[in-house]
Amino acid sequence: MAILGIATTELTQTVAPVPPRNRRIKDLLLNQQTILFLVLVAMVVVFTVLDPIFFSVGVFGNILLDWGPIILIAIAETFVVISGGIDLSVGANLGFSGVIAAYAMKSLIAAGIDDATTIFLGLLVAAATGMFVGYVNALLINRAKLVPFIATLATLGAAGGMSIVLTGGAPIGEGPESAIALSVPWLGPLSWPGIVVVVIVIIAGLYLHKSRFGRYTYAIGSNSFAALAAGINVKLHLTRIYLLSGLLSGLAGMFLYIRLGSGAPTSGTGNELVAIAAVVIGGVALAGGVGRMSGVVIGSLILAVVPSGLIIIGIEPNWKQVVIAFLIAAAVSLQALRTSSTRRSK
Amino acid sequence: MTTNDAPLYEVRNISKSYGSVVALDGVSLSVRAGEVIGLVGDNGAGKSTLVKALSGAHQPDTGEILLDGEARRWKSPHNALEAGIETLYQDSSLAPDLSVSSNVFLGREIPSRGILGKLGFLAQKQMDNEAHADLERVGIAVPASNRPVSQLSGGQRQAVAIGRAVSWARKVIILDEPTNHLGARQAKEVLEVIRAAKAKGLGVIFISHTLPHILEVTDRIVVLRLGKVVCDAPTSDFNVDTLLGTITGLITTAPAE
Repeated sequence: MAILGIATTELTQTVAPVPPRNRRIKDLLLNQQTILFLVLVAMVVVFTVLDPIFFSVGVFGNILLDWGPIILIAIAETFVVISGGIDLSVGANLGFSGVIAAYAMKSLIAAGIDDATTIFLGLLVAAATGMFVGYVNALLINRAKLVPFIATLATLGAAGGMSIVLTGGAPIGEGPESAIALSVPWLGPLSWPGIVVVVIVIIAGLYLHKSRFGRYTYAIGSNSFAALAAGINVKLHLTRIYLLSGLLSGLAGMFLYIRLGSGAPTSGTGNELVAIAAVVIGGVALAGGVGRMSGVVIGSLILAVVPSGLIIIGIEPNWKQVVIAFLIAAAVSLQALRTSSTRRSK
Repeated sequence: MTTNDAPLYEVRNISKSYGSVVALDGVSLSVRAGEVIGLVGDNGAGKSTLVKALSGAHQPDTGEILLDGEARRWKSPHNALEAGIETLYQDSSLAPDLSVSSNVFLGREIPSRGILGKLGFLAQKQMDNEAHADLERVGIAVPASNRPVSQLSGGQRQAVAIGRAVSWARKVIILDEPTNHLGARQAKEVLEVIRAAKAKGLGVIFISHTLPHILEVTDRIVVLRLGKVVCDAPTSDFNVDTLLGTITGLITTAPAE
């Protein structure tokens, strides 16, 4: 007996439990991850055929090093956007954390502390600075009731401005000299910072898709009132998400310090837009509730491959902005097509 | 079907204003275990505000909330849920991008066993299976509990939302327009679910604009008008016409005060 035969009766009438074969093929083809992966593979194949050096360990090592900070803030942006928000401060926060850590490490070296300890403490300072900016974002959103766009636009300006004021615009060096040596690959294409990025990607992906933290992130982005009504502490969870975003931005700042050997105040400027582009190309919906970490990683890699690829096929690298703009439009359009084909109504 | 005389869940004299708009003005209401009360009123009468106060989503400015005779204060829906009070909100109880089972277990996820559970990971398989079993026990069959809610029809979504509320409720269940989006026969089935909840000894607060449904399934009817209770009387005192008259204010006999 079905007390509530609602679903049973409707099911047989409206939704077939197993989609027909052509529908499944269509679903797979419209699956953003699948398409992205094919696009990435196609790009790599074409560029490699044109110039075999493209598909080399060295090139991948360099891509990972150049794009490590971007991938870190793209991961941060993934959590924020899936929760229905946006974090415009990640790039400015990256630069600011790098500068503060650079000052800390400069003082530690001047005080005669050894390089390894200095780098470790610098990492902690960068992480703490990043989380501080993230916490300010959370306060502005939860307490001052600003929408995330405005709250993080404010911290973008504040963190970016303070980096310039503190440094006078010049990079802060005189830190641990062995820092830059950490960027040398020792495990195939992987250097220490590269390994850290790969490990963070994996952990972040597992937490996004398999843990309570990730589940609440999707729930809030999908319907924040439903999340609240289900007993979730929405404000606390948002605070955690913006702290995480700050933490990853801080780590990205330290990553860049290791890459450059100094903390440059404007090093993160504009990176938030690249991160948002990676997230959107990766299939994360700006409206929240939708997206996968694998898509964001592939989206980041596509963005990383484009500039080197353009050089290889002999196009002026400045075209990359145009290509990226096209990719964003295509990705969002694809998502809209997919949504209208699978969603009955919302 | 026995009704105990002591109220199970009660609000006394609660008021709530939004700026200069008085949404609730000294409202008192109670439900006993095994009793179904109908809450009716025109749009803007204060039903939704009252539901949010009863479920902990909003805090009233003044007044008391009592569960089992004890004064309680809900700081958030979390407190009310923990005390055994489930609420089906009109149209907005589910997260459409999450799967059926993720919605059923939202806020009450089952952690993985061992160290993974301590690290925050979830036993998804177990939740998929249990959600399926829970919904079937209430009488709901859903295609696959790992399917996103956005792919279900309006009726199926409503079924999942009701199933979720019924399977978790321990004391009180508040249903705000549960028969929305449903055809006549499906609405009848929802009324059966309400009767089953009553038989289980739950206190049921049923909000609807469909007066025949209210008359069919409730024991008592509370009428709200402009933020005040204007009538609180046994269902047998009403027919559709007198109930409609009381809601619109054309009939002003039998006031609650």
